[in-house]
Amino acid sequence: MSQRRRIRIVVGKVGCDIHERGALTLARALRDAGMEVIYTGRYQTPEAIARTAVDEGVDVIALSDHTGSMRYIAADVVKALEKSGGADIHVVAGGLIPGRDLPALRKMGVTGNYGPGTPLDVIVSHIFSLVENR
Amino acid sequence: MTESEVAFNRSLGGMVRTETQSGIPLKPVYTPADIEHSEYGRDLSDPGRYPYTRGIYPEMYRNRLWIKSFIVSYSTPEETNRAFKEYIAAGQTGLRLLADLPIQTGIDPDHPSSWNSMMCGGMSSYSLDSYEKALDGLPLENVDYELAHSSISSPLFFYSLLVALMEERGLNIANLRGSAINDPFRANIVYGSPDFPTEIARRVCFDLIEFGARYTPKWKAYAPNGVDPQQSGLDAVQEVSEVLGVATAVYGDIIRERGLKLDDIGATVFSMDAESDFFETIAKFRATRRMWARIAREKLGATTERAMSLRIGIRTSGLSLQTQKPLNNAARVTLQILSCVLGGVNSIDASSIDEAIGLPSREVRMFNLDTQHIITHEANVPLVADPLGGSYYLEWLTNRIEQGAYKELEEIERRGGMWECLKSGWLRQRIDHSRIKVQQEIAEGKRLVVGVNAFQGEEGPISKAIERTSYKVPSRQARLKNIASVRRLRRTRSRQAVSGALRELYRAAGESRNVVRPVIEAAKARVTIGEVVGVIRMAYGYDYDPLQQIATPAFVRELVKMS
Repeated sequence: MSQRRRIRIVVGKVGCDIHERGALTLARALRDAGMEVIYTGRYQTPEAIARTAVDEGVDVIALSDHTGSMRYIAADVVKALEKSGGADIHVVAGGLIPGRDLPALRKMGVTGNYGPGTPLDVIVSHIFSLVENR
Repeated sequence: MTESEVAFNRSLGGMVRTETQSGIPLKPVYTPADIEHSEYGRDLSDPGRYPYTRGIYPEMYRNRLWIKSFIVSYSTPEETNRAFKEYIAAGQTGLRLLADLPIQTGIDPDHPSSWNSMMCGGMSSYSLDSYEKALDGLPLENVDYELAHSSISSPLFFYSLLVALMEERGLNIANLRGSAINDPFRANIVYGSPDFPTEIARRVCFDLIEFGARYTPKWKAYAPNGVDPQQSGLDAVQEVSEVLGVATAVYGDIIRERGLKLDDIGATVFSMDAESDFFETIAKFRATRRMWARIAREKLGATTERAMSLRIGIRTSGLSLQTQKPLNNAARVTLQILSCVLGGVNSIDASSIDEAIGLPSREVRMFNLDTQHIITHEANVPLVADPLGGSYYLEWLTNRIEQGAYKELEEIERRGGMWECLKSGWLRQRIDHSRIKVQQEIAEGKRLVVGVNAFQGEEGPISKAIERTSYKVPSRQARLKNIASVRRLRRTRSRQAVSGALRELYRAAGESRNVVRPVIEAAKARVTIGEVVGVIRMAYGYDYDPLQQIATPAFVRELVKMS
C-alpha cells in the first residue's frame, strides 16, 4: 500500500434517516485503516453525495441507511454518479437492507450490502480489494 | 484428532467481563459493609415516599400497572388505525405515535428529500387529516398518548393536532393525557434536527411546557430523553446525568423566564433506556428517582409530591437487538422488560425481536404484550413493590451510579452548564467517546454479543421466518400516492383560512408570543407541518426550507411581505 496514494472514500447518508451510529463507526474504522474519509453527515441529496465524490476524486462511496430504502437510495446515487462523470466510483452499501432487495442492488453494481454487526475488518478488506482489483 | 472428534473446552462460555456494561468494576460478592453508609429513611424510604428510590406509589403496581406502550405508526393512517384497534384489544395502554422520518425533519412529502425515507419509520402525518383517520373511533380523553419524535417541530405540530382534534370533536382539552419528549438537547446532539436551530427549539419547547401547564394539566409536555443519547453511545451513568442535566437546565430557565413553578408544571417524566445489563438497569432507575427528588426539591423549589416523584417511561434498547439469529432477541427483550418491572418504572415501550431487521410485525408486537402479561400473571413479579430493595449488591450499585452521575453533573457545571456544553460540542463528544470505547471492546472480545462476536452459528427456520415477516417499507406507488394526496390537500383547502392562520403564526413567532395556539388554529385550517416549520423559521430570519433545497412557496412569501 505504501507505493499507492491512500484510498479516498465518501461515507454518505441520503434523505432523512436519523440513525447515524453505523456511519460514524464505519468512518472511524476506515480512517484507522489508513483511508481518507469524508463523512457527508445526514440529510444529503443523492446529487450532493455524487458531486462531493467526483469533486474530491474518491475511489468509493459508502452509503448507510436504516430505513429499509437502500434500493431507492443507491439507485439515485448511481444515476447521479453517471450524470456527473463518476461512473467509475465504486458504491458499497450497509445498514438495514431487506434481503429481497439484494439482487436489485447487485444488479446496479452496489456491493457489500452489510447488515448491522458486520465485523468492521470485513468491510475494510472488501473496500481494499475493490480498489486494488480495479 | 480426526474430523469427527470434538475438542471439549470446559471454560467455553465463561465470564470475560468483571465490570458492568458502563464499566463499573464489580466484586464477586457484596455484604452489609458495602452499604454501611446508607440510611433507610434518608436514601430509600418506603415506596411512595421521598426520595422515591423504591418507587413513586406506596403499593406500586397493585393499584397501577405500568403503561404498556409502543409505537403504532405504519405508513398510512388507515393501517395505523386498524393496528391501534387490534393492539388495544390485546392490552396496549399507551398509544405512542410516530411520524415518518421526513415529517420528523419538518418537511412535507412533496419535498425532494422526502422520497427516500417517506413513510419509513412512521406515518406520513403531514396534516390534521392524517390524525383524523389514524385516531378514528379511538377515545381522545383520558387515554395516554405519547409523542416520541426526534425534533421539536414534531411535538409542536402533533400536540396541536391532538388538541385540534379534541376541539373539533367538542371534547374538553383538559382531559388530554400523555407525554411528549420535546427535548431540545436530544434533538440537537443526537439527531442534528435541521427543522429548528437551538434558539427556536428552546423557545418552542418552553412554549409547549407553558401552554400545557395552563390548558392540558394532565399532559406532560416535556420528557427529558436519555434513550437516544444512550443508544448513540452514552453509558448508563452518563445517561442519568444527561436526563437530570437537561431537566434542570430547561426547568431552571422556564422558572426564571416564564414565572412558572415546578409545582405548577406538575409531574415530570423521564424517557430512559433499558439496556442489557440487568442489575445496572434496575439500579439506574432507582438512582435517577432519588436524584430527581433531591434536585427538584433543593434546586428547583418543588414542594409537592407530584413534582418531586419522577415517572420513568422506558424504551428498551433497540441497539442491543441483533440481526444475527434474531430469535435470541426474545431473550434480550424479556430480560429488559423484567429489569424495568423490578426497577419500578411507569411505562414500558418494549422493542420487538425483529426490530434490527425492519419495523415490527403484528405477531411480535403481540409477543411484546404477552411477555408483559406473563411477567404479571404467571411470574407474579409485580405483586410486591421494589422486591430487590435491600439487596447488598443492588443498593451498592444504586449508590455507585448516583455518585458517578453527580460527578458527571459537576463536570458539566465546570464547563459552563448544559446549554454551554451543547454549544461547545462537549455533550456530543461525550457520546462519541463512549461509543468508540464500546466498539473497541467488542472488536477486542472484551464484550461478547451472542451471535455477533461470540457463539455464532447457523440460523434455523425460525430466525429466517422472523426476517421474512418483518414489516416492509412502502412501495414506489404508495409513495407517489402520498405525494399526490398532499398536493390535493393544497388545492382543495381554503386558501384564505391557510393564509390567515399562517400570518397569525408568523406574527406570534416574531413577537415572542406563545406559538402553540396559532399552530392549533393552523392545523384546523389544514396547514401542513412543512408550512408551520417554514413560517416559524422565517419569523426568525432563516430560510423557509430547513434543508435549503426548495424555494419559499409564493403564498408564504406574500403573507410574510404583508405582515
